[in-house]
Amino acid sequence: MKHITELEMINVIDSPNQSMWHALQLIDPGDDAQTVEFIQFKKQFKSHLVELVRHVSIKIKKHTDEAIWIRIAWGDSYTRPNHMKPTYAVHHLQTPYVFVTTLTSKQKPLLSQALLLSTQYQTIKEANLSGRKLTAIRDLLMKQYQQMFPNSFPSLLTETKENVPDPHKVHEQAGTASTRGRLACETFGRGALPQIETTVYKLDTKYKDPTNQTMSERSRPFKCVVKFESKNLLESLRHCATSGIVSTPVAQLLSSIPKKGRNFFYVTDTDAASSSQRPASQV
Amino acid sequence: MDTVLSKGVFSHFGLLEVQARNRLIRPQQSSRVKELKAEVAALKIKREQLKAEIQTHKTLQKLRLSVDKQSIDKEVEEMEEEFADTELLKLMAKHSHIKDLIYAHHLLGGYNIIKTNNDKAVCVSLATAYEGFYLDTYNLEIDLRSVLRISHHNIPPFIPLNSLAEQSNIQTDVKAFLELLSLHLNAYAGRKQQLKLVKEQFKSVEVMESNTLCTLLVLMFTASTKRTPVLCTLDYSDHTKSLPTRVLFECEDSDLPNSPEWKEHCSLLMETPVHKALMILRNVGDII
Repeated sequence: MKHITELEMINVIDSPNQSMWHALQLIDPGDDAQTVEFIQFKKQFKSHLVELVRHVSIKIKKHTDEAIWIRIAWGDSYTRPNHMKPTYAVHHLQTPYVFVTTLTSKQKPLLSQALLLSTQYQTIKEANLSGRKLTAIRDLLMKQYQQMFPNSFPSLLTETKENVPDPHKVHEQAGTASTRGRLACETFGRGALPQIETTVYKLDTKYKDPTNQTMSERSRPFKCVVKFESKNLLESLRHCATSGIVSTPVAQLLSSIPKKGRNFFYVTDTDAASSSQRPASQV
Repeated sequence: MDTVLSKGVFSHFGLLEVQARNRLIRPQQSSRVKELKAEVAALKIKREQLKAEIQTHKTLQKLRLSVDKQSIDKEVEEMEEEFADTELLKLMAKHSHIKDLIYAHHLLGGYNIIKTNNDKAVCVSLATAYEGFYLDTYNLEIDLRSVLRISHHNIPPFIPLNSLAEQSNIQTDVKAFLELLSLHLNAYAGRKQQLKLVKEQFKSVEVMESNTLCTLLVLMFTASTKRTPVLCTLDYSDHTKSLPTRVLFECEDSDLPNSPEWKEHCSLLMETPVHKALMILRNVGDII
């Protein structure tokens, strides 16, 4: 049994883009949070979780890129740990993020408690970011893609344009096009972007359409869910901004995806264009 | 003459006297007039001078504005018809521009900083370097509102940006915050670079453990005496320094770490960067 779990863990570490991952954020670090090291974390986590759940099988491994992989097989006071449905958690020490797979509502508070005690943080909450590709959501939250700032030298941007300007052609909108490109890159980043695949906006706002009287007159807010799906959502949004389909500077609803590192938003009328911080009710 | 005869000779004398006195006074008045005229002329000249100065200043301002917008050549062409001495004016404009830039740079503590977003935010660039080589550059965008807020940055999440901002009171002293952040980033870059060099240059030394912030390093190397493996733990608890605060040796042979030469090695590792210290140890022959 031990070998099987070992192999399964190695398999998941090697190809992490198979299950559905959710991000959690740790808040309010204690004074010692910055100096927690691996062995201490491992001991503390195991002891705390075993205290909370009597029958549980925990395996902790440290990957070469300093990521700590935790495999948990849950049982309870009467049953043995169920190795068929393990939970995986990934954490980088000294960062406030934890990525977890399949977690039931009963298991979540137990795992949260163990994590808080072993990392010396005070609270944990949903980061409203989920996806199939662990590498993508991790890169987005930890900002591991190439971001662009206003003081990057403009010459770097022109590399991507056609290098041979035809003297007979005059590009009418060259100025506005380059501004759009620059703003798009500043919002979304340059080069390869993390492969986020979906974004969901849950709208609970008043219907606003001057041509449709019946809907606009309703006093109750109009609830709907808008979902964007793509193989690489951030790249498609960046392309929309560069080509002018989306107006620049990019609207806050779209720029919040890379800026806040979220892909689930609950939009209400209280703040005009920004998303409220209500956590997702889904797991 | 009739009046003279009617009033008398003495009254006539009195009249002549008055006339003679008047003739004496008038030349004084004319010299006074001349003086005043000379003063008027001088003031006129001064007025012309001041007018010319104002005009120069105005052109200087215009040139300064165009230097700021870096389109000086076009403006100069327009002005060349009006003035001689445009070369001098150009130089003066550039000089004052550079002086202002240097002063602004000094105010901000020497960081590369530019205005963005219609002057509502600034973007600060922090460069890191170690041993003469430039490493990563980190950027911060700070919103300039009544409460300063960092809106966008590419600083890695293991550098505690928010606590550093609170610690150095970013609202009142941006320079102190930037300095503290720069210290942390440079120290981190230094430690990361040391780790990279150790991995590259010392194939016989194994890195047993490290962490993303590079504040803990556990190395294993072989001591040349008796060929025993020694576990060396380097603890960098001061995150603003790239030298360890604690060095610990562990060995199967418990006497080895207590020997005087290994105690020396301990102090060597506390005082010199890891890769240099290991090089020294290897050259001396104490490790393989």
